[in-house]
Amino acid sequence: MTGERRRRARDLALMLCIGGFGALTLIPFAFALNNSFRANYEMDHAFFGFPENFKGLARATVAAMSGSDTVFRVETDAGDLIEASGWGAVGRYWHAATKGYRVSWGTLRPYMINTFFVCGATTLGVVALGSISAYILSRYRFYGSRIIFYFIIGTMMFPAALTLVPSFMVVRSLGLLNTYGAMVLPYIAGGQVFATFVFKGFFDGLPEELFESARIDGAGHFRIYIDIVLPLSKPVLSVVAIMTILGTWNNFLWPFIVNTDGRYHVIASGLYVLATTNFAQNYSSLFAAYMTASIPLLLLFTYATKPFVQGVTSGAFKA
Amino acid sequence: MTKPGRPLFGYRARFTLTCYALLAVQMTLLVVFVYVPVFWAFSKSFFQFEVGSESHFVGFANYTELLFRDPTTLPSLLHMLFLTAFAVCVRLTIPLVVAKLIHSLSREKSRYLFRILFLVPVVVPGVAVQLIWFGMIYNDRGMANELLRAVGLEHWVRGWLSDPSTALVAVAFVGFPWVGGFEVLIYYAGLSSIPESVTEAALLEGCTGIQKFFRIDIPMVMSQLKLILILTIIGGVQSFESLFILTKGGPGFKTMVPGLWMYFNAFSFQRMGYACAIGVCLFFIIFGLTVLNMRYFRSTTELEGQG
Repeated sequence: MTGERRRRARDLALMLCIGGFGALTLIPFAFALNNSFRANYEMDHAFFGFPENFKGLARATVAAMSGSDTVFRVETDAGDLIEASGWGAVGRYWHAATKGYRVSWGTLRPYMINTFFVCGATTLGVVALGSISAYILSRYRFYGSRIIFYFIIGTMMFPAALTLVPSFMVVRSLGLLNTYGAMVLPYIAGGQVFATFVFKGFFDGLPEELFESARIDGAGHFRIYIDIVLPLSKPVLSVVAIMTILGTWNNFLWPFIVNTDGRYHVIASGLYVLATTNFAQNYSSLFAAYMTASIPLLLLFTYATKPFVQGVTSGAFKA
Repeated sequence: MTKPGRPLFGYRARFTLTCYALLAVQMTLLVVFVYVPVFWAFSKSFFQFEVGSESHFVGFANYTELLFRDPTTLPSLLHMLFLTAFAVCVRLTIPLVVAKLIHSLSREKSRYLFRILFLVPVVVPGVAVQLIWFGMIYNDRGMANELLRAVGLEHWVRGWLSDPSTALVAVAFVGFPWVGGFEVLIYYAGLSSIPESVTEAALLEGCTGIQKFFRIDIPMVMSQLKLILILTIIGGVQSFESLFILTKGGPGFKTMVPGLWMYFNAFSFQRMGYACAIGVCLFFIIFGLTVLNMRYFRSTTELEGQG
């Protein structure tokens, strides 16, 4: 009994320590989330504080539930005050609180679409090309196969700092500046290397009998790849996909460099552009933009926690 | 005697050709977007580019300028050294302590929840994280200054990133308390792989608490520590995104690092050749450090399988 109590006390103390670290880690994000609902004058008035519109929302909800017809004066998007009561006031307050999100979404939407496209195309390319190379190199020996393997793996030797400037020169001389290709093609070229490495490690562990029996049954490369390799490698596939998405999503410098006229900015480079233009005058829109930009990965994280965790850890080995 | 319908090539050759065909796209991409840039990095570093005119061969002039005449070289190397050393110090200690704390919890469920908790910030784009920090420490009315005002230290209030005497420290401070979810996961994996027998033996010998942490846990997670060490060093030498967002190397050259100097030479001053020379030097620094790491802390391969 005392042992159990001591264990509990120890756990509680540990959790307080970890919770302290966790709270400190999350402060900047909580700060951004809170201020995405606050207007500039609120921040000037009191730097730390709860959004006025949420306080109003709470008051209006209480009033509406108790059936009183108190009149609330709520700010509209244009900045005028409008009078409302009952559930109408609750809606008005919610509308006013989320103004930053509506304002920023207009600017963010094209960036979001570009990001989805670039991430999707890159991930498809990396997974497809990486798994095909790995399948060929893992299952067959042919003239030059070892050299090709080292040719692929050898690229891991070259750090990003070495190739950043000349890659830009290559992309420019191919006439790819300000296209999706400037992002997707180099991403696939670089991403497939580690993908091949990961896939090959997995394919090497599959029993040869599996492939042999398929070949005896008359299956060709294509059939084996579609019907045997892909279904078996689902777990690795999702890890490679998430690793690629994470890398592409967070890459800021490259899209920033190759989009000289700013038409194909993705989320990462777009956020930087927003923060360095007049848009940043309005804190709530800026913070709302950061928060909106985090939603897709948050969904991915909650939906696929396990491959996400593996993707984060294996992705870091690329460096 | 040839049978009718016999293929042009033998079976073996056709098979090899099929394999080549299936690898053709990958190889083309690799050559165009990786090997050509690598080759250009070395070859163009011997040329001088000027906007609107022909490039011409200048031999080692870019290198001698970088190593002996450029007044930015030495300070930027020192800044890089400081920031990297700082990053190494915090990433080898704080996440390890947090991982140990989490690992000491008795319930598997809470251990899992806390590991996931520290990973949540990964969903926020890196740029946004830097920009949030920028807002917190740059403005007069940023969070850092407001906190100082709140505790009555008004005379400490300053633009932390724009004050030459504090800019570098402020940059290093970004990310406080430096508990990276990735590092926590790696150290946690190391701690969980310590065999039960070792822990039991330590317990029998009366080695517990702090003593166990230093005598047992740290030696047992040495391979994870080495991995984080080399990753942090490589990242510290070459990455400059956060400095680009936070300070652009300023005020003056107070937070300039070689990577950022390379960026400015290439994309602001149009000195592509000189930028390539900086890139090549960074490559040799990283290459040297990696070789040292492999020589003295043998086996990065043993590290690669973990995590």
